[in-house]
Amino acid sequence: MEPKTGKAGDWRNYERVLLPKVKDLHLLEVYEANGGYKALREILTNDKWDPTAVTNEVKKSGLKGRGGAGFPTGLKWSFMPPINPDIPRYLCCNGDESEPGTFKDRQLLEYNPHAVFEGMLIASYAMSLAGSYLYIRGEYADWITHMEGELKKAYAKGYIGKDIMGSGFSTELYIHKGAGAYICGEESSLMNSLEGKRAYPRVKPPFPAQKGIWGYPTTINNVETLAAVPEIINRGGEWFAGIGAPTHAGPVLYGISGHVNRPGVYEYPTGMLISDLIYEVAGGIRGGKKLKALVPGGSSTPVLRADMIDGVTMDADSLREAGSMMGTSGMLVMDEDTDMVSFLRRITHFYHHESCGQCTPCREGTGWLENIVTRIDEGEGNLRDLDLLIDLCSEMEGRTVCALADAAAWPVRYTIDRFRDEFEAKCKASLVPSGVELTEATA
Amino acid sequence: MADFIKNPVVELPERNPAPAVPASELHFTEAEKARIAEYVKSYPTADGAIMRALWLAQEKFSFLPPEVIKLTAEEVGIPYAQAYGVATFYTQYYKKKMGTHVLDVCTCFSCQVCGGYDMLHYLENKLGIHKGETTEDGQFTIQEVECLGACGSAPMLQVTNGPYVHNLTTDKVDALIDALREGKSWPFESVTLPQDEDEMGGNRRTDVSATETYQTPPVSETIR
Repeated sequence: MEPKTGKAGDWRNYERVLLPKVKDLHLLEVYEANGGYKALREILTNDKWDPTAVTNEVKKSGLKGRGGAGFPTGLKWSFMPPINPDIPRYLCCNGDESEPGTFKDRQLLEYNPHAVFEGMLIASYAMSLAGSYLYIRGEYADWITHMEGELKKAYAKGYIGKDIMGSGFSTELYIHKGAGAYICGEESSLMNSLEGKRAYPRVKPPFPAQKGIWGYPTTINNVETLAAVPEIINRGGEWFAGIGAPTHAGPVLYGISGHVNRPGVYEYPTGMLISDLIYEVAGGIRGGKKLKALVPGGSSTPVLRADMIDGVTMDADSLREAGSMMGTSGMLVMDEDTDMVSFLRRITHFYHHESCGQCTPCREGTGWLENIVTRIDEGEGNLRDLDLLIDLCSEMEGRTVCALADAAAWPVRYTIDRFRDEFEAKCKASLVPSGVELTEATA
Repeated sequence: MADFIKNPVVELPERNPAPAVPASELHFTEAEKARIAEYVKSYPTADGAIMRALWLAQEKFSFLPPEVIKLTAEEVGIPYAQAYGVATFYTQYYKKKMGTHVLDVCTCFSCQVCGGYDMLHYLENKLGIHKGETTEDGQFTIQEVECLGACGSAPMLQVTNGPYVHNLTTDKVDALIDALREGKSWPFESVTLPQDEDEMGGNRRTDVSATETYQTPPVSETIR
């Protein structure tokens, strides 16, 4: 058998662009000295770059959203309605990173905040926006304080505000602090949260581009997505499209956690072999143990068994074929000693806690998922509970306003499907009392 | 069976408790009013400012009893009911009196498989309380929380909606409790990226303290 290779090319010599090798890049002075705000100056001062040209360059790059859904960013930008001077338009940068297993955006906010600001400003120009909001989860209080300081510096330097660099283009940038709710990562509940309401997701349509925050046209992008934009302008969309997997191009931050020797955030091209990421990049499994299971992109993406990752690369297509999703590329690695029933129990608890309570299938369903998985985990379950759980998942998927119910159901469905023997081992052996012989009548 | 109906996972506050903040102290200073006015300016309508204003109120009054929510709503200029709805939706707004230091231990799956529950149980034994409870001297409250977004440095905890404490060990928990008892604050810890360790010889930030480069997660004794 020929050795499997990924789509990431020569990743060992990859030069990072989202988190380049520069000390103290989080300070404005250092960012400027290393080509910071060059892309913004270029598009504002060079006539070649009208807003459509910027959007087209992003389209050409093939950049896909890094927040989980993987929607093409340039296409999303082009959904904004024609400009009407009476109606302001907004951008929300989604920094409400709360999917378990995902911790990449925090590193960007900490180490390269100005790339996020610059990406937001370029997006504001491309879509002619009145302002943009950077929504950061409330737990990141220390990072918010730090970013507010850097934002003030950027305002003082004239990168944000009225008539930026004498181009006549004006836009504002605000940081909004959340207060602890997973659901705010969903784009429409993020908008409700910004508006000072309970963060209930909205029914779509109307989509944010038609009616977003305060009813104005709005685009919502992830932190990592926007941080990639300045380099797309600097080096061109074709350069970006040439990195990593052809259908899911670009650099990506892999957050590797769990039982590996070197957990952390790594920047590499998309399309890395999962086995390379675990054994070469993250130093292999803790204590030289064997891999048992892997969650490729945050808690809601279906778990993969060790025998399912052979030759699978980290891009949307390859993971779909393998039976999972790219998600947020926050990987959780589990070694052979992990108890998959307990693992699932904690996930169901998470979704039960975080369900906003707006739709009945999710509010009640997540609770019953947790209760039934807990029952199995404590040795009180019956074999038929497994089918009951699968049935419950079918009643939840696609029946709610947002995708949280789906996100809660998928891990249950696929963990049971892929580790059924472990669940059965924890269930009571049979419903039938001992001593009774199974016949058609009693079965 | 339906335990979660009798014991909802999100605890709601009492409907009409006796005021926790005396009327003489129930007001914002001029400086605080100016800050709230500043927040209001950042949004097309006043509504958006309620979350920042509630944060400010919680910093000042340490938690959000109904009278404080009402005061904040009036200052922002939105209905009390809307502000109350917001305050009770988000977990980081404290609806009841908490300890001086709230220890939010993450046990979501990355922390779970790396010993998050070991740390939670260690803390519970050390302080002699269960999660959700406050020590008798009013110093510490322990909470079990959902993912805090620091999975690479699991297990970890957050102190009173502020600093993260990464790569927990029992020794580090002891040091943390001692420091908090002495009234010291925990410094901001920057987690060094493994690639920075290889390519730049350490943390890329020179202005903050860095945690140990990276840590192989511990073997957990308990998973719950």
